[in-house]
Amino acid sequence: MIEVIDLHKRYRGRKVLNGVSFTAEKGQITCLIGINGAGKSTILKAIMGLTPVKSGLIRIDDAPVGPTMYEKVAFVPDHLTTPTGMKLSEGIQFMKDFYVNWNDARANELLKFFKLDRTERVGNLSKGTAAKYSLLLGLSQNTDYILMDEPFSGIDMFSREVIAEVFSTDLIEDRGVLLTTHEIDDMEHLIDQAVLLQNGSVQLAFDCEEMRTTEGKSVIDVMREVYTG
Amino acid sequence: MNRYLKLVNMEIHRFRYILFSLMGITLLLQCGSLIWTLQRVVSAKEKGLTQAEVGFAIPKFLSFPWAIVNTKEWFILPILLSITVLVLYSIIIWYRDWFGRSTFIYRLLMLPSARWVLYVSKLTAILTFVFSMIAFQLVLLVGENMLFKTIVPAGMRTDSTFVEASTINPVLNTLLPKQFEQFIYSYGLGIIGVIVIFTAVLLERSYRRLGILYAIGYVVVCAAAILLPAILPALESSSSYWYPGEIYRIELAICLIVPVISCCLGFWLLRKKITV
Amino acid sequence: MNEGWTSVVFNNRDPVYLQVVRHFKEQIATGRLKAGQVIPSRRELGALLKINPNTAQKAYKEMEEQRLIITEGNSPSRITDEAEILRTIRSELIESAVEAFVVSVRRIDVPVDELLELVRTKYVEERSRTSQEEGGSSDD
Repeated sequence: MIEVIDLHKRYRGRKVLNGVSFTAEKGQITCLIGINGAGKSTILKAIMGLTPVKSGLIRIDDAPVGPTMYEKVAFVPDHLTTPTGMKLSEGIQFMKDFYVNWNDARANELLKFFKLDRTERVGNLSKGTAAKYSLLLGLSQNTDYILMDEPFSGIDMFSREVIAEVFSTDLIEDRGVLLTTHEIDDMEHLIDQAVLLQNGSVQLAFDCEEMRTTEGKSVIDVMREVYTG
Repeated sequence: MNRYLKLVNMEIHRFRYILFSLMGITLLLQCGSLIWTLQRVVSAKEKGLTQAEVGFAIPKFLSFPWAIVNTKEWFILPILLSITVLVLYSIIIWYRDWFGRSTFIYRLLMLPSARWVLYVSKLTAILTFVFSMIAFQLVLLVGENMLFKTIVPAGMRTDSTFVEASTINPVLNTLLPKQFEQFIYSYGLGIIGVIVIFTAVLLERSYRRLGILYAIGYVVVCAAAILLPAILPALESSSSYWYPGEIYRIELAICLIVPVISCCLGFWLLRKKITV
Repeated sequence: MNEGWTSVVFNNRDPVYLQVVRHFKEQIATGRLKAGQVIPSRRELGALLKINPNTAQKAYKEMEEQRLIITEGNSPSRITDEAEILRTIRSELIESAVEAFVVSVRRIDVPVDELLELVRTKYVEERSRTSQEEGGSSDD
């Protein structure tokens, strides 16, 4: 599992992370929920070693973060990270060259599933298509965990449906998924655990089905209570 | 080792159009200006015109070094251009991964290899560009000499050595020094310069608001450290306290310490402080 | 066989896995799922219903516990053959529908006979309408 323990971070004088702690289990889909600027992206970047934190501990399967962890954890950022001049196939080749855990068969499957043209240049993709490609690059790695930053935001409805389908398939099964979003919308029934962030710390973390069973509340109900109560 | 080579290959691949353009421009400007200069002198000579009549120098015998000098700035321009581009690129090679529509730095930082490999691969790429341009210039000089012999009839020219041609112009002389020792000094200093620039860039990228100050400060401190032994004698109020031999050794030591510290600092920044 | 699956809409207040189980029960009670019929695997179900694989897993477990489905070894799961259980499902669904109905009309003052007459009429109406809609076949 991914353990985040008491993260603190300042950015431009503001306390972005003020003691964030939570865990994301393997085989479960955990969703970090919070308004824009709540620090969700920062948490994911911190886990991936893309930004330093002032204090706190991050452990992945009981080991601290390091370069070998990149074969275990994949990250799907909310924007393009492949040079715009590269073709889709070249981007895939890049990943294949550097990652032992690259699953080329799956990459080809996903190219078909997302209906992507491998000869197209990355810079020419629409926002929805670029999101699918980023997802492809993350999912085609045989990692135990996959982190996704706002996989649905700013994307047209149909692309969103296609992307959501991925969550129901065996591409996700057995992996630990940690994603962030500011609008849970029609995605509620897909996630196992919800972690509500506010003011740089975790206000509430719960199992969604349990919440429905014991209190008859949807995630949105809980969100309303926590954020406006 | 494998990943390092792949990264170097990628960096070279990304820059190839600019590199070839620089080579192309150098070829065109140098050969073009050479041809133009030579042809007008040769035709003036053939017509028996005097200097006063045509307004440019007409020596009795033409030599290749003379030709280089008389193309004036056109010969040297592409060299200066290339140097400027390469110096700028030692900064841009980092920033291009942060800015633009896609932030490639995410991918680079998440590669399953130690981060200092990124630093070293970029450094290797820059050095490769520099040395390939130099090699190109060398080959070009040989080719230009042949061009010279083609345009100027045997009766009008005198032979010259390669070294005479390469040292006739101060810029060319610095680029292709006669002595190996000088080569080590010039290019050693250049490499130190690139290393300091790299670390300065990483400082800026690690400390967003104050970063730019740290970066500039760092460059200034390193430059001062390297210049210090050289200007020490001038600063001494009393007659020289240091022997020249000692100053030389101090300078050498500083020239080893500065890049080593810069590299270590750069590696540490990449590992611990860098932020996207 | 796949049409019945994609039309499920989930509400977010009841546990999703229980909604899946209820959907199965409805399919059984309405005859769309026959006794002994093979059902999609956990993964297939997850993909068809567009739910989390864990939810599909939970639903299966629940159905196995309620003996709604049988999984023998590595063969695909099937709907139970036990008539007893199938009958129970049917009556369960009818009962909960009746209860919901009674709760909603309880407040209105109407004699039982009138109520039953209304129900009978409405029921017959609906049955003939839906059988016309479905035309010839209800098996897929």
